Amino acid sequence: MALFGRRNVLVAMLLFAAVAPTFLNAYYLFVANTILIYVLLAIGLNILVGYAGQLAFANAAMFGIGAYGTGLLQVHFGWPFWLAFPLGALIATMVGLAISLPALRLSGLYLALSTLAFAQFTQWVFLNWEPVTFGAGGFKTPPISFAPLPISKTLGLYYLSLILVMVLFALAQNLVRSRIGRAFVAVRDGEIAAESLGVDLLRYKALAFGISGFYAGIAGGLYSAMLNFVSPEGFDLFQMVIHKAMIIVGGLGSIVGSVLGAGTLVFVLEALRKVKGVQEIAFGAILVGFILFMPGGIIGYLKEKVRGWEEPLHRARASRRPPVAATSESSEVRP
Amino acid sequence: MELLVYLLLSGLTTGSLYALIALGIVVVNKATAVINFAHGELFMFSGFVAWMLHVQMGVPYLPSLLAAVAFGFLLGAATDLIAFRPLKNANIISLVLATIGIAFMLRGTARVIWGGKGDYLPFPPITSPEPIMIGGIMVIPQQLAVLAGSIVIMVAFAAFFRLTRAGKMMQATADNAKAATLAGIRIDRIYMLSFGTGAAIAGAAAALMAPLTLLYPDMGFSFFIKGFAAAVLGGLTSLPGAVLGGISIGIIESLAGGYLHSSFIEVSAFIVIMFVLVVRPTGLLGSTRFRRV
Repeated sequence: MALFGRRNVLVAMLLFAAVAPTFLNAYYLFVANTILIYVLLAIGLNILVGYAGQLAFANAAMFGIGAYGTGLLQVHFGWPFWLAFPLGALIATMVGLAISLPALRLSGLYLALSTLAFAQFTQWVFLNWEPVTFGAGGFKTPPISFAPLPISKTLGLYYLSLILVMVLFALAQNLVRSRIGRAFVAVRDGEIAAESLGVDLLRYKALAFGISGFYAGIAGGLYSAMLNFVSPEGFDLFQMVIHKAMIIVGGLGSIVGSVLGAGTLVFVLEALRKVKGVQEIAFGAILVGFILFMPGGIIGYLKEKVRGWEEPLHRARASRRPPVAATSESSEVRP
Repeated sequence: MELLVYLLLSGLTTGSLYALIALGIVVVNKATAVINFAHGELFMFSGFVAWMLHVQMGVPYLPSLLAAVAFGFLLGAATDLIAFRPLKNANIISLVLATIGIAFMLRGTARVIWGGKGDYLPFPPITSPEPIMIGGIMVIPQQLAVLAGSIVIMVAFAAFFRLTRAGKMMQATADNAKAATLAGIRIDRIYMLSFGTGAAIAGAAAALMAPLTLLYPDMGFSFFIKGFAAAVLGGLTSLPGAVLGGISIGIIESLAGGYLHSSFIEVSAFIVIMFVLVVRPTGLLGSTRFRRV
C-alpha cells in the first residue's frame, strides 16, 4: 500500500479531525465544523447526481428544510434538540421522496428546472409563511446542551458532527458498492437499459432522492444548532451552487471526492467571505473551470497520478475478478 | 371591473417582457436542445449596461437600448464559446452546470461593479411618469411604451427568423442539425448565433424593462424563472408559444397579486412550472420532442 494511498490519507484526515479541537482556536473550530456539515451535504448530493445521475437542484432546499424543521420543532413545541434533530432530518427525507415523484416523469433539463422551481418555492415559503417561519428575519434556536457530558456546546457539536460524518461516510461507501449503488449507476448510464436489467426505476430514483434528502436534513439540523440561528438567506441559489461546485471539484460519482471537494471549497468560501460578489465570481469560475479542464475533479486527478488511489474494483489483483462478481450479483436483481 | 382591466393591462405589460425572455430561451433551446441557465443573468447584465450608458454617461435612451442589444449578443456568443461548444458532446449535467457557472460569474461581476446586495438602481422613465386616463381606466404611459417596444421587437425577430438567410439557417439547424450540416451550414456558427440572438432579445427586454422597475444584481434569476415558466407553458420549442406563454404568465401573476396577495406574484411562476412539467410537459403548443437524443 502506497504511503499516500487513499486509506492512509483518509485515516490521517480522520486523526487530524479528531484531535483538531485541542489546538484550533474558536474560529478555525467553526470552520472545521462547517466543513463536516458540508461533507454531509456533498456526499448526499453526489449520491443523487454523481451516482444516480438525477440533476436535481433541491439540495439547498432540503438543507433548509432540515434546518427549519429542527429549529422550528424546538421553538414552537419546545421539543429538545435530540428529538427535533432526527425529526427534522426525517421531514427532509420525506420531502426528498415527494419530489422524486416528478423525477419519474422528467429527466435531464426538465428535472433540473422543476426542482429549481421547487427550491425557489421552498425559499418563498420560508420568507412568506411568517407565523411559522418568522419570515425574512429568521429566528434564533434555543441553545443545545450536552448535559450529562462535561463538554461545551461547540465541542460537543463538533464531535457529534464528526461521528455523524464517519457513520454516514461509511454508510455511503458501502451503499454505492452494494446492489443499490450499482442500480443507481445503471439508472444514470441508461434508464432503458437499467429497466431491462430489472432495475425498478421508480424505487431507485425515489431512494436516491430520499437518501440525499436525509443527508441534507442531517446537515441542516447540525447547521441550525451550530449557528443557533436560521434564516432563509442561507438556503438560496448560491447555497445550491456551493453544493454543486463541491461535487464537481471533488469528482462526480465518488464519496471520497465529495469529502475532498467540500473541504477545499469551504476554505475558498471562508477566504472570500468579505465580498459576496467575489464569492460568486469565484464559485462560477471554479464550476466552469473544473467542468472544462478537469471534468474528473480532484479525485480523477488523484486516481490517475497518485499510487494507492485507484478504485478498488480496478486494481489489478489475481485473487479478485470484479467483472464476474458484478455480473453474478446483478443477475440477482429482481425483475 | 376597473381593477380587473388595470390588472389585465399591467399583466399584459410584464407578460410581454416575459415573452421576450421566453423567446430567447426558446431560440436557444430549438437550436441546441439545451437551456441556457445564464439567460437571466445575460438579461440582468445587459440591463446594467444600458443603465450605465444612459444614467451614468448620459447617452440617449435609444442608443443605450441598442448598445444593450449588442452587448447581450456578445455575451450570448461568449456563453456559447465557453459553456456550450466545448461541451457539446458532454453529458447534460456538465452543460447545465457550466451555464450556471457563467450565470454566477456575471452576477458576481454585476454586484462588484454596480453595488452590493440590496442596491436597487433606478432608471429614469422615458415617458412622463404621470398616469393618464383612457376611457376611465388609469394607464401608466411607460407601460404602453414597454408594450409597444415589445411588439416591435417581436415583429423584428419574426422577420429576422423568417426572412433572412441567417434566420432560415437557424430554422434548418433546429429542424435537423445533421441535414443542415450536409447542406453546408456551419452549425457551430448557428449555435453561436442562436445563443447570441437569444441574449440580444434579452438585452432589449432588459433595456425596455429598466424604466418600469429597478435594477438589482439578483433580478436575473427571478426573470429567468418567469421566462422559463412562459417558455414551458408555450411548449419550449414554439416561438408563438413563448409569446402566448409569456403573456399568460404575466396575467396570471397580475391577477394572483391583485386578488389574492402581493406575495403570490413571486410564486405563481414556480407553481405553473411544476404543474405544467408534471401534467403536460409539451406545453400548449410544443412538439413532442422533449429530450436530448
